Amino acid sequence: MCCGVSKDTAKLRPGKGRPNKIMNAQTAIEKRLIHRFGETLIGPADDSFKGFHVRLDLPKERIPELAQLLHEAGCFLEYVTAVDRNDHLELVYVFGTYGDPARIRAGVRVPKGETAPSISRVFPGADWHEREVFDFFGQVFSGHPDLKRILLPETADYHPLLKDFRAPARLNGMQGPERP
Amino acid sequence: MMTAEPITLRKTLTDDTFFLNMGPQHPSTHGVLRLLLKLDGEYVRACEPVLGYSHRGHEHMAQNRTYLQFMPNPSRMDYLSGLLYNDAYCRAVEKACAIRVPERAEYIRAICCELNRISSHLLWFGSYVMDLGGITPFLYAFDDREDVLGILNEVSGSRLTYSYCCFGGVSRDLNDPFLQKLKAFIPKMRGRLKDYDTLVSKNIIFIKRTRDVGVIHADLARDYGLTGSTLRASGVSYDIRKKEPYGLYPEFDFEVPTRPEGDCLARYQVRLAEIEQSLRIVEQALARMPQGPICAENVPQYVTPEPGDYHFSYESARGQVGIYIVSDGSRIPYRMKWRTPSFCNLSILPVLLPGTLVADTIAILGSLDVVIPEIDR
Amino acid sequence: MVALDQEKPPIQLARLTDILNLGRAHSLWPMSFGLACCAIEMMAAGASRFDLDRFGSNVFRASPRQADLMIVAGTISLKMAPTVVRLYEQMPGPKWVMAMGNCAIGGGPFTYEGQYAIVNGADKILPVDVYVPGCPPRPEALIQGLLELQDKLTRAGGSNVLRRFKRYGQAAAGKGSAE
Repeated sequence: MCCGVSKDTAKLRPGKGRPNKIMNAQTAIEKRLIHRFGETLIGPADDSFKGFHVRLDLPKERIPELAQLLHEAGCFLEYVTAVDRNDHLELVYVFGTYGDPARIRAGVRVPKGETAPSISRVFPGADWHEREVFDFFGQVFSGHPDLKRILLPETADYHPLLKDFRAPARLNGMQGPERP
Repeated sequence: MMTAEPITLRKTLTDDTFFLNMGPQHPSTHGVLRLLLKLDGEYVRACEPVLGYSHRGHEHMAQNRTYLQFMPNPSRMDYLSGLLYNDAYCRAVEKACAIRVPERAEYIRAICCELNRISSHLLWFGSYVMDLGGITPFLYAFDDREDVLGILNEVSGSRLTYSYCCFGGVSRDLNDPFLQKLKAFIPKMRGRLKDYDTLVSKNIIFIKRTRDVGVIHADLARDYGLTGSTLRASGVSYDIRKKEPYGLYPEFDFEVPTRPEGDCLARYQVRLAEIEQSLRIVEQALARMPQGPICAENVPQYVTPEPGDYHFSYESARGQVGIYIVSDGSRIPYRMKWRTPSFCNLSILPVLLPGTLVADTIAILGSLDVVIPEIDR
Repeated sequence: MVALDQEKPPIQLARLTDILNLGRAHSLWPMSFGLACCAIEMMAAGASRFDLDRFGSNVFRASPRQADLMIVAGTISLKMAPTVVRLYEQMPGPKWVMAMGNCAIGGGPFTYEGQYAIVNGADKILPVDVYVPGCPPRPEALIQGLLELQDKLTRAGGSNVLRRFKRYGQAAAGKGSAE
């Protein structure tokens, strides 16, 4: 329903863009999310400004559950990334829909050094996203089929997007000053 | 610094297979991609793409640069749609800082971005058919592409990597040579599209090499998060310009071409149809463009979005670009994540290739239209 | 009045290496080795508008064994650097390297304090003969770099048998002294 798959060479209505149907897809997904995760929902973000229709914060154990629910609802995984918040990592999962726009942002707080469950069994595309998060932040995902570095050399021993990373001189970069 | 042999492709004694390394240097225009192919004769049994040979640390640079200092970087990520990425970055920051772009600038951006989309598709078309063995369309496509680059060069000074859009608008107004060349280009391009149709689309060798090759069903596409022409050729009509429109796209009358088959031929047809739609948008924008300022006033040198995180989606030539900015209120982003379409589009390759011939590998890889530096960032 | 080259007599016997260098210079076969954005301008230089065929150089060989010019077009990342060196070693001599674009010259726009991922220039790992600046350099700039390299080759023996490329300043100085 939410997928918006057209089986023919669809001709969209000419003239003005399609009427704003954000509320339908968004409220449908929101209802399912509230039903399952109720208390942890932050509430819908103001899309016109920030870009996310639905935001929620979850404990890391419930991430596969969320992925399963959104996969059944017809969403696709846009990206998985992380933000280094100095004492913990915030994993950010962003899902979207092919139909009317409903972008869901799930934030997961993971203390550094702990593992997080992988969602690559539900969304196979998450395989590479999680490898990238491992590559740049060192976050280990349990249940991942083949967690290894994807962009940096396999023998690299550093995670560059962590806030306390300083490029050693042997990498041909120059030592950086503190953030201005 | 040699990369280790992946354990998943270890050769066993009972296997009559061998490994072929389509190494990081191979005669293709897609960039430095390494494909480890496990072959059984001519048939591919497994494929593992090895990435990172073009990793330049864009996201790390974003954490160490002000928003304006980062401006040259987006173009270098996907250099074929450099102006589209430049525009996407400017719009993301404008959305985060609530900067309003004047109307004339929006029209100029629409015209130039659609021209960039045309040039990207032309290059893809030329190199794809060249990969399959037909050298002639490459020369025609590049001739048309040089016309487009000449038009964009008039106003921006660059051919490939642009910083023409600035926060709040564009940096220079259109001039007469631009308009003259553009008005001459549109009918010429339409005539050329007919030529391409005759030369390539109805060519029996091309059709035999691309029909029913690399079929992607809509569900498989959703599992891997495909976007762009690759997805639209599987029957899913998903275009950010229609779903989450930005700029003046709600006012333009254009279609989103989709095909239901999902094979390489469908992806080819979708991209050629998109060139025609881009020409339509350019014509409409030219007709309606008003006079006025080309840049917002009083945009500070150091833009500082409010603390929080922002997302902006944009339709580039390859698919949906997502820019995720985390700001802590300072003039340097705390984190900037670029969700590039080729990253997800390429992740489907290990699923598509097993069972195909080596010759089909080139056809399938080319039809996905990936640019490796935007995967590696 | 044409300014004659007063250092050497206008007629001289060409040595064998000069003839060979003349042949090599006008049939430099590049290896198709595009790393990043500059690769597209290299392709454009080989395409219809800025044809490299007229310089004998549009025979891009995929295999390094068949090429004698490596155009390093794009940023060399640390992961790619061993491959670049290996490809250079696989090329048979005589071979030349052209560093095309700012990234291949000295890291380009990606050089900053804290860069961990790139090699700051091709000349850190390869012997470079010609540098072509630009980000990316226009195809005309690539062609000028190619002509410079041809010039370098044909002057290898100290004599310029087919003098056809006047350097900047020489032409003006020649005109000034003639007038």
